[in-house]
Amino acid sequence: MLNVSNATKIYGQSCGECIDHTGPAVGDNQCPVCGSVVACADVDFGLHDGEVLGIVGESGSGKSSLAEILALDSDATAGDVRYDAYDGNLLETDYQARHELRNEHVGMVHQHVRDGLELDFSGGGNVAEKLLAAGWRHYGDVRERVEDLFRETEVPVSRMDDATETYSGGMQRRVQIAKAIANDPGLVVLDEPTTGLDVSVQARVLDMFRRLQREQDVATVVVSHDLGVVRLLADRTLVMRHGRVIESGLTDRIMEDPHHEYTQTLINSAI
Amino acid sequence: MTDKCGVAAVAEAESVDDLLDSVTDDGLTGYNYAYLDEHTKREVRRATLSAIALPGHQVPFASREMPLARGWGTGGIQTSLSLLGPDDTFKVIDQGSDESVNAANIRRLAARTANVETTTDATEASVIQTRHRIPEEVLDDDQILVLQVPITDPLRRVDGSDDANRRRHAHSNYSKMWVALYENVVEYGEIKLSSRYPVLVGDRYLMDPSPIPRWDVPKLDDADNLFLFAAGREARIYAVPPHTEVEPLAFEDRQFQVERFPEHACGNCGSEDTFLTEVETDDGGRVYACNDASFCEKRRADPSLSKAHHRNGDGHTWGPPTDPSVPYESDGDSGENRGPAGPNRGGDE
Amino acid sequence: MGYVAVEAGEDVIQRAEELFEKQRVVGESDQISVEQVGEQFSRLTAQAMSEGGLYAPRLAAIAVKQAQGDTAEAAFLLRAYRSTLERWGTSVPVETAEVFTTRRVSPAYKDVPGGQVLGATKDYTQRLLDFELIDDDGTDPTGDWDVEAEDPPRLRNVMEVLREDGLVYDPERDPDRDDDASSGAGTEPFDATREPITFPAPRSAVLQELARGETGAVTALGYSELRGYGQVHPTLGEVRTGDLPVTIEHPYTGDEVEVTTAAVTETECVVPIYEKSDDPQFSFGYGLVFGRNERKTIGMSILDAAIQLDGEGAAQDAEFVLDVVDGIDSFGFIEHLKLPHYVTFQSILDRIRSIRERSAAAADETDPAPQEVGADD
Repeated sequence: MLNVSNATKIYGQSCGECIDHTGPAVGDNQCPVCGSVVACADVDFGLHDGEVLGIVGESGSGKSSLAEILALDSDATAGDVRYDAYDGNLLETDYQARHELRNEHVGMVHQHVRDGLELDFSGGGNVAEKLLAAGWRHYGDVRERVEDLFRETEVPVSRMDDATETYSGGMQRRVQIAKAIANDPGLVVLDEPTTGLDVSVQARVLDMFRRLQREQDVATVVVSHDLGVVRLLADRTLVMRHGRVIESGLTDRIMEDPHHEYTQTLINSAI
Repeated sequence: MTDKCGVAAVAEAESVDDLLDSVTDDGLTGYNYAYLDEHTKREVRRATLSAIALPGHQVPFASREMPLARGWGTGGIQTSLSLLGPDDTFKVIDQGSDESVNAANIRRLAARTANVETTTDATEASVIQTRHRIPEEVLDDDQILVLQVPITDPLRRVDGSDDANRRRHAHSNYSKMWVALYENVVEYGEIKLSSRYPVLVGDRYLMDPSPIPRWDVPKLDDADNLFLFAAGREARIYAVPPHTEVEPLAFEDRQFQVERFPEHACGNCGSEDTFLTEVETDDGGRVYACNDASFCEKRRADPSLSKAHHRNGDGHTWGPPTDPSVPYESDGDSGENRGPAGPNRGGDE
Repeated sequence: MGYVAVEAGEDVIQRAEELFEKQRVVGESDQISVEQVGEQFSRLTAQAMSEGGLYAPRLAAIAVKQAQGDTAEAAFLLRAYRSTLERWGTSVPVETAEVFTTRRVSPAYKDVPGGQVLGATKDYTQRLLDFELIDDDGTDPTGDWDVEAEDPPRLRNVMEVLREDGLVYDPERDPDRDDDASSGAGTEPFDATREPITFPAPRSAVLQELARGETGAVTALGYSELRGYGQVHPTLGEVRTGDLPVTIEHPYTGDEVEVTTAAVTETECVVPIYEKSDDPQFSFGYGLVFGRNERKTIGMSILDAAIQLDGEGAAQDAEFVLDVVDGIDSFGFIEHLKLPHYVTFQSILDRIRSIRERSAAAADETDPAPQEVGADD
């Protein structure tokens, strides 16, 4: 349902040879010639209905840039992304198509709450926005749907009309998830879903999402520096470093039998 | 439309003193016909045409400084003056009254500079400039209503930046406005907006109808006349052309509501289908009276007068009844003949 | 009836105007002449000209007299008059180094080419009410000076020293900028009096709107940067006042001819914030206004710098600053609140009553049905 080939994002005025001058072989993602930063390059993968793909790597590896490209939050420099809900290259959509896709077909859970929520809206209002943008015009129906989504994401319905800024970090993350799935999208992108949360809260958010993901069978890309998150959620995993995918495969295989030296280090240091 | 004698008078002045001599003459010698220079009038008309072509879309125009303070109808008067010719009849209303001082001041400027006839009768006027009201009498397809606009963008209720809002309009992205309405209902059980009620024009642009009461909002929908909206300070013109669909934003189960009045009849003329304002009297009482002063006067002379009395039996509903228990049915008929009068008290003439 | 709104039309307006005019003439003193206003209240006329966007000292004196000293009103009179004038031509751009300088101080340097020229200023005078002005006999305090009168000099601009050393950011040479500031000399500037401004606005539009801004607003918004609501704390390259030559192309010969001069005040400042980290250069700001008004040009230079930086501070948001800085706009809209608002107020009253009824009813019932009135759809 999702097919990504050659996804590339370069920050700065590229000299045209940045990709050759960067990557794991060079040990850097900044081009020595022009100084541009190659956030990610030559990323290829496919995703099936209901499948969860993990993208793991340290900060600066390019995983968040990739997530933003997939969630249509930032422009790619090059590449081709095909998605069932859109006829054409997802990376070449105009603003209008992008707006509609983000409303109804791609849900994003941001690492930074301010990117994902309007903190002075109520929590319910944040979720309702998605429904209203998709054309819901019956107040009672909107309320009912928002209440259901709050229950599904385990946010107390009694807090639904309070300003989002009064919510705890865990609740805000749940509200983002409720918002992301509000219109039953085919794809959800989670960017660092547990960062900044207490360990006990992390586990509950992940459990909730795993249940939800299975119930709704929604294809998911989860980006994290935390191997535990990817191990828990992802069927398959990409390992990224210096803007490139260095290893990919079934999550279990990668965790048990990492081939790339960097992956081995990553797993050893995590355990 | 006019010659440029006024400008020529300025051009021929040899010195500032000569110029001042010519200006201190009677009336407004030294100024062009209808005050604005022809270049400006053409520009305002071009913006007006663009606005008509894109109903509800705000068209920027180079608003000139006028001899009225900004915020006092300078957009309206620029628009009116760019439209008026010597054969026009001009009416000015401020909050429903022809006699309010600001209306009188605007009328005086047009009369002095454009030599137009002025009137207080809404059925007589070819151009009506108004602040915050649509007249009670139904307007015809040969009339233009120019509404003065203080705040052009309905989205400013949710975001102060016109730059950001322009982008939202470009993509019909009105979800933030909808969330504001949703949160209104959450907080108050209903939509709290009073005047300046946001409307969707032609199923495309969200528009601020200027601070007319909600009472007047349904009049915008599928009207026979042209509505022009002009903001001098904010330098924008927008329009609702005749027979354009105008729909107030509301939920299916939390509908748009017009103002209600504890007393349903005007204390002066007894009308039960006009917008009333409450008046605190010197003896401590409170009276409800018609806001449209010139129509109230007509009704006092003839209580059976319909709001469409001048339209040869074409009884277009125009404003709801004041008693919410009286059914108000909009006429769904298409075309010119809009069927029988709805809430009008008397028969048609 | 009992109630009459503010109405009764033109007679009332006429009377109100006459009462206002009476306030000017009702006292015992002689009428002040337009010449006296122009010569003795030059700061008032300067402010009216700069905010009115029209350099016309004699018209400004009439405006100040007519407005009974209210500068906002006087500027408004000039603007309204200006908008009726046909444009005959455009003057030739001049370097402000051409100004016949009567005062120029450079806080950035102890000494500068051409020297510090203190000129006429009250900056260092103790602010003591001068009761001798009650019996002012018009004596020229410089009457017994034993110096030869010289023509005011033309002085090189202090900022040029820094520019020659490449220390000041030059938007005209920045390939990363795509607004009109980068398109270099010879580009027609925006005309804020003829074109509506939309954002992002070109710098020429920003400068025009600031130059016409209300003095108090420019001062306050500029001060907000210094007060901690922004980062711009500039060093002034110089503040100068003088007469700027106005040059036009002769309509027949095409030669450039100096036709008059306009009194102006100019400020340029540097800000120790670098536009780019790889090539550190000072940010800068510019201010120029008609007449003598130093605090407005300094405020303007701060705002120009702040807007170019485009940061988080209130005064760094071009849209915010330009939306509120114009005195004619703010004065008009603030004062329009005096107009009758009883239609809108009726609408507001209806809402609050309805909501109060609803919450009162909610105490009895759990879910009161919304009252649907006049829905027309």
